[in-house]
Amino acid sequence: MTTRIREYRQKLHLTQAELADQVGVRRETIVFLEQGKYNPSLKLAHTIAKTLKSSIEEIFDLE
Amino acid sequence: MIGKSSWFQRRKYGGWGITPRTSQGWLYILISIILLVLFRQISAYLFFGGLAVLMLDILHIMATLKKDELETRVEALAERNGAWTMIAALIIGIFFQVAQSASGDLQGVDPFLLIALFSGAIVKSISNWWLERKGIDK
Repeated sequence: MTTRIREYRQKLHLTQAELADQVGVRRETIVFLEQGKYNPSLKLAHTIAKTLKSSIEEIFDLE
Repeated sequence: MIGKSSWFQRRKYGGWGITPRTSQGWLYILISIILLVLFRQISAYLFFGGLAVLMLDILHIMATLKKDELETRVEALAERNGAWTMIAALIIGIFFQVAQSASGDLQGVDPFLLIALFSGAIVKSISNWWLERKGIDK
């Protein structure tokens, strides 16, 4: 799985820690997500997409 | 209870329990040790009473530790691996004691080995039943 979390995060000038705080997870979880090493639950994916002002389909790519 | 879960994190390496992550957590541990040492000097009842309160508080802290979904999944897999290793060791120990009993070197199997194995199996069964009924939110 690949994600565009880093790209959207940087557009909003958020650090990994700030995004983690807003989403309610640890910074390590955001690191894993950006590296594509973790498949989040639908709930977490939705929360991340909403925080980054985008959609799940834009942020996450299961290919 | 007394300690707050925000002062601690789950112990990942070297056993089970909690590890302090804030100065309040370290102070909690230090004060607990000092009190237990003092209680031990005063009376055995006070010591064991204090120890029971401490154990209950630690269990409460562990039960209320905040974990995100990744940490919950990692913990579940790590605990599963630990449990399987312990089960294997218990079964090997039981077979070893059965063999020793058969050869007359030992009088039966240590009941605590059997209690550990069966109580684990019962807790696993209850957990499966309960979680399949209740579902998992995370």
